Amino acid sequence: MAELTPVQAERSREQRARFAGPAFLAQVLLLLALIVIPLLIPSFRVLDVLAKIIILTVAVASYDLILGYTGQLSLGHAMFFGFGAYSLALVTYHSGSPQLYHIPVAAGIAIALSVVSALVIAFFSLRVKAIFFAMMTLALAEFAHILAVQWYDLTLAADGVSFKLPGIFSVGWSAGKFLGVELNGRLVTYYFILISSVLLFAGLLRFVRSPVGRVLKSIRDNRQRAVALGFRTFRYETFSIVFGSTVASLAGILFAMWLRYVNPDSVMSLALMLNILLMVIIGGLGTMYGAIIGAAFLQIAETWLPDLQKLAVAFFPTNEIAQRLAERWILYFGIMFVLVVYFFPRGFVGTARQLVKRHKTAKKGIA
Amino acid sequence: MTSAATTGGYETKDRISARALVGWIVGVGVWLLPLIWIDTTTYLILTVAGLTMGMLLFLTASGFTLIFGLMDVLNLAHGAFFAWGAYAGFSTLGLLNAIGWVETGTVSQSIYSLLIVLAVALAVGAILGLILEQVIIRGVYGDHLKQILITMGASLIMAEIIRVVWGPNDEVTLVPAALVGSWDFFDVVINKFRATSIIIGVGVFVVMQLVLKKTKLGIIVRGGVENREMVQAMGYNVQRIFTGVFCAGTAFAAMGGVMWSLFKEQIYPDMGSENLIFALIIVIVGGMGSVTGSFLGAIMVGLAFNYVAFLVPKLALGVNILLMAIILLIKPTGLLGQD
Repeated sequence: MAELTPVQAERSREQRARFAGPAFLAQVLLLLALIVIPLLIPSFRVLDVLAKIIILTVAVASYDLILGYTGQLSLGHAMFFGFGAYSLALVTYHSGSPQLYHIPVAAGIAIALSVVSALVIAFFSLRVKAIFFAMMTLALAEFAHILAVQWYDLTLAADGVSFKLPGIFSVGWSAGKFLGVELNGRLVTYYFILISSVLLFAGLLRFVRSPVGRVLKSIRDNRQRAVALGFRTFRYETFSIVFGSTVASLAGILFAMWLRYVNPDSVMSLALMLNILLMVIIGGLGTMYGAIIGAAFLQIAETWLPDLQKLAVAFFPTNEIAQRLAERWILYFGIMFVLVVYFFPRGFVGTARQLVKRHKTAKKGIA
Repeated sequence: MTSAATTGGYETKDRISARALVGWIVGVGVWLLPLIWIDTTTYLILTVAGLTMGMLLFLTASGFTLIFGLMDVLNLAHGAFFAWGAYAGFSTLGLLNAIGWVETGTVSQSIYSLLIVLAVALAVGAILGLILEQVIIRGVYGDHLKQILITMGASLIMAEIIRVVWGPNDEVTLVPAALVGSWDFFDVVINKFRATSIIIGVGVFVVMQLVLKKTKLGIIVRGGVENREMVQAMGYNVQRIFTGVFCAGTAFAAMGGVMWSLFKEQIYPDMGSENLIFALIIVIVGGMGSVTGSFLGAIMVGLAFNYVAFLVPKLALGVNILLMAIILLIKPTGLLGQD
């Protein structure tokens, strides 16, 4: 056998390690848990949180591709998410009677819309400084949000679009009981979301481990060297941004499927963008799996924090400022944001990997 | 204005100024283009409105571009300073109104109250800017990603504090009596406050240019941008100068906020982030780091918005994005931006 190049050796080592070790086991266990929990705990709140975590994981992972692997700070990721959510909502709403084929149609629209707009954004902003991309995406995302709020005939503005899903996804559909759990439209939707999300997540993982992903990492780490090696950095970055944005729009479709309701603030706003950003950072930039932890952490916090606030209101029933302070959970969100960026910039997965690495080198040092 | 020529390199000076000349001719042509559809009187009124809007936007965008150009910090909390300025002005006007200077005051009392409000806004902006720079931004110089994230977090916090202190609802601002109403030049109605804000905006621009180009402080600041170590080696405290620039930038944003609140006669907690988008567009159009560029950009955005809002109201929101796209197609770095 011919001598392997260092890159080939590294790749074969990585491939061999992929289906062994604790990381793979953890993935299988997580997947099993996501399949089984809805059957074991028939609580809507738990199901709701799980579905949202799954969907947001995909959105956050696709954002990680752009920010963590490509090194471009996009502030318009929520816009692509919203494109997806709105295309499903509008197709089913404006058609009057929803059909099953509307879902792939909406996916097609979402993909086309995000590919075109990501290409336009990349074309305009990647030619100049990196920071331009952030400003440009922020301006466009805000514009898209304004458009969604103002264009009443299409989007029903701030009222939002409430729509019904067809066939087996509809709320009324039921296939009787199975192991004591009612198989209804909700549950079918949940499993559909789970399967699609796992596929999308696997696609993202495949992407960052592909040769293209490696080039992207090299551009992120040392652009000049990548250029000197003959890579057309502009094309690679554009490709990554288009891919990541498209996956985000598909995640948006899943989100709309789950909520059966979209409005500009829930799927397109800057608040959602900040949520995704914080999830990426808490999970760990450039780690992919961090997306799961980040999404789970924030989503769980968001679901159960309001309960804590009620407690605060109970303690200070008369003080108006104290009550307002308790109501404003975004304030604490902002404070957490700053603290995380300052003191925990690698996130959970990044920090864990660093610890493992340190542990390994320490062992080597002793031996 | 010879700014395009002065920003060019030595050997390409002539070519660039020729290009700038063509740019100016085309620009003026486009500026007069709406006259085909709008009659002259309306056109002049719209122009005044556009210039006012442009000047108010310039106050915010100039601080933004200054901070970016000189310190390489992208301050996404800039909009929050804008909102804080507006709310500080709102409270001050409330106090002044209690002693009868605002809604019922004489001309001089109105002018005094305007000046006091502006001074308060400037002070609030500068103090908050000082705190933000010292506490949060100082640790992340040179790291764009962290800067963006941290300033975004800061802007969330600042907007939320506004909601806590002043409540989450819209408020109506009082306007000093002498600034209400309008003058009438041959059927062209010019709102008094609009005229005042154009004067203030141009004044700020001129002062900013003079300070940057003619004073020793300006030379140090520009030198610090070019080569920080060299200026430090000459014995100047660059850090302190940067802090000063940051405070000045946020103070102008707060001033822009209070002027904007008097212009619109209402304030709300989210006004900052909405305005930040305008500032972003202006800075992208004008070229990052160029005060003159953002001045031109602000005027263009203000005028374009008003003409289009009159002609095709539905397109008004999109026209700024369109403007940005066109400018970036022609010159990817913005009007007066450098690589």
